[in-house]
Amino acid sequence: MNKKMLSLLAVLLLIASIVGAGGQGDSGSSGGAGVVVEEWEIPFLNSLTGAIASIGEYLQWGAERAAFEINEAGGIAGKPVKVIGVDTALEPQKGVVEMSKIVEWALVALGPVPEPVIMAAAPIAVENEMMTMTATTSLEYAEKFFPWSISWFPATADRLPPLARDWAKDYGVKKVVQFVGIYGPWPGMAAAHVVGIKEAGAQHLGDVEVPQDAVTFGPLVVKALGMNPDGIIIACWPDKAAKIVQELKSRGWTDMEKILLFSSADDAALYTTGGADLNGTIIYNYINVDQDTPRWNAFKEAYQKDHNGLQPPSLSTNYYDAVYMIKRAIEETGVTGDPKKLKEERKLIAEAMFNMKNFEGLLFKWDMSDGVPTNKPGYLFQIQDGRKKLVKEIRN
Amino acid sequence: MSLVLYYFLTITAIYILMSWGLYLPYRVAHLHFLTVANMLISGYLAGYMVQTLEVPFSVALLAGFAAGGIIGYIVSRFIGDAPTFTVVIVGFTFIYISRTAVENIKAVGATMGMFGLPMVAGSPVMHRWTLLILLYALVVVVGFLIYRFEHSRLGRAASVVFVDKDLATSMGVDIKRLGRLVQTFSSLVAGGCGVIYGFIYRSFHLDFFTFHLVGIFMTVIFVGGYATMWGTVLAAPALYGLSLILPPAVASWRIVIYGAILIAVLVLKPEGLITRRLAHKLETTLSRRRKR
Repeated sequence: MNKKMLSLLAVLLLIASIVGAGGQGDSGSSGGAGVVVEEWEIPFLNSLTGAIASIGEYLQWGAERAAFEINEAGGIAGKPVKVIGVDTALEPQKGVVEMSKIVEWALVALGPVPEPVIMAAAPIAVENEMMTMTATTSLEYAEKFFPWSISWFPATADRLPPLARDWAKDYGVKKVVQFVGIYGPWPGMAAAHVVGIKEAGAQHLGDVEVPQDAVTFGPLVVKALGMNPDGIIIACWPDKAAKIVQELKSRGWTDMEKILLFSSADDAALYTTGGADLNGTIIYNYINVDQDTPRWNAFKEAYQKDHNGLQPPSLSTNYYDAVYMIKRAIEETGVTGDPKKLKEERKLIAEAMFNMKNFEGLLFKWDMSDGVPTNKPGYLFQIQDGRKKLVKEIRN
Repeated sequence: MSLVLYYFLTITAIYILMSWGLYLPYRVAHLHFLTVANMLISGYLAGYMVQTLEVPFSVALLAGFAAGGIIGYIVSRFIGDAPTFTVVIVGFTFIYISRTAVENIKAVGATMGMFGLPMVAGSPVMHRWTLLILLYALVVVVGFLIYRFEHSRLGRAASVVFVDKDLATSMGVDIKRLGRLVQTFSSLVAGGCGVIYGFIYRSFHLDFFTFHLVGIFMTVIFVGGYATMWGTVLAAPALYGLSLILPPAVASWRIVIYGAILIAVLVLKPEGLITRRLAHKLETTLSRRRKR
């Protein structure tokens, strides 16, 4: 009898220890319980070849850098993550086919890039109820695909007027002419600048349209100067913005701080084309490259190492943050990657991102509110010898 | 049907139709790039009609065909017998003009584009099947009409015009009338294609209609064969499919690969992969088999 009791006790103890060990395993794996994938695969519908291949490269670099860091730190829910670059070559025809392949298996996608491919391919993600993170476009595009997309930027009408307003106020600009490239959201951005100029009590004298195929800028600059402005805003392609500045200088413009360049001009082509002629001009953007935090410094150092010492461009952090956002969404929701639960887990990830609070981005913390970021700062910089020096941080 | 196959088939059909739209005027030595502008104008027109005026898709599609045909006819009144270079310049100019016009029309989304076009049928699946059937019905009808044209006196007259306009005139061919006919027909087809193209994506953006499209259609014609309509049928799926199946490591060389294919074909088989002789041989063989 005693023997039987002892055997029974031994069995019970064994069962209890197994159950206990299992429980410990669950609680100790930091959200990794039930994960069925060996590796998280995140497709990135990017333009790796074609006209904007240079931008696509650093967007991809940012996403892969995040994946590298995450893997070094133990992965997502204990599993490594891999960003798979899928090239659309800026062609909607290719974008739709690639997105069609992605929606068959992916939990979430990065991209597409840029607007024409977004417009063609994002509806496929929406139809298949998969979050597609269009982190380079404006809210005005991204919101068309809510709740299966999120915006990386607040509404243009909210974020740009304070930047233009403070520039006009701080530099005593009274009469402004604007150069506007006719492309995607840029006319809308130009209209938002005008709101800010008026808030500063300055006058908007008019816009000068910059054609996409413009090669000489003399006539455009003469037209602008003919309105007698004391301030200029340039909202067009980076190389063309640089040439407009050069043309203004060659025609006697000296108040360089009274030239404001918009964020989309903040690209390598601006600095390589404009060189020292840009010295003193003001440019606005949404990241501050002079920040001094260990995380940013590591990112910057790695970027410069891989890009011949160039500064990280403003968009290079977007998909870096996007990958971290996916990591947080997966870990917070307990997504397993089980293909049988694809539909419900896609929804979990999308919902988590749509209203994610206190997200620790590379450069600052922000909240998502119904797909729209809040409390993201904007910055005014002064350009000096190809580098941007912070002048002011502006929060709405 | 998988989405991948759907997009492959629909866009291939657009490539075939639009390449035929260039092929037909090329029979009289016209590179009629106006067709890309026709796509854009008719597409945006139909998009506006369906989205804003809530006109049924079928009516908007017919309006798209009509707009293409009318613009094509009016322009052909002036360039029906113009030299090749003039026709090219007019085509490019129209692409510029129509793009600039759309950029400035807020009602059609201006530079932002048109989003969220409604489905042409009740569900996504029906939407896709409707467009697919419509497109391939169009391929059959347009293909049949071009085939009949090729085997008619008009087709033979076009061949003479291609070789020597003076000779054609001396043989009694009305060059201008023939030019008007093929240009108008091409513009009409392009108008319909523009409408369907936008409804495939359920959106319109100006960058759907760039000079890049001209490059694609030209490559399809010259690789497939500019002397028969069948070259397009072969080259359109092959070239579009190639861009989709290239492994990532090679994909960045895509344009180089296309260029190399084009150069190789132009050097080794200047008439393209499907020559008139080959097409004739195949037709003869097929008709003999049918008789047996």
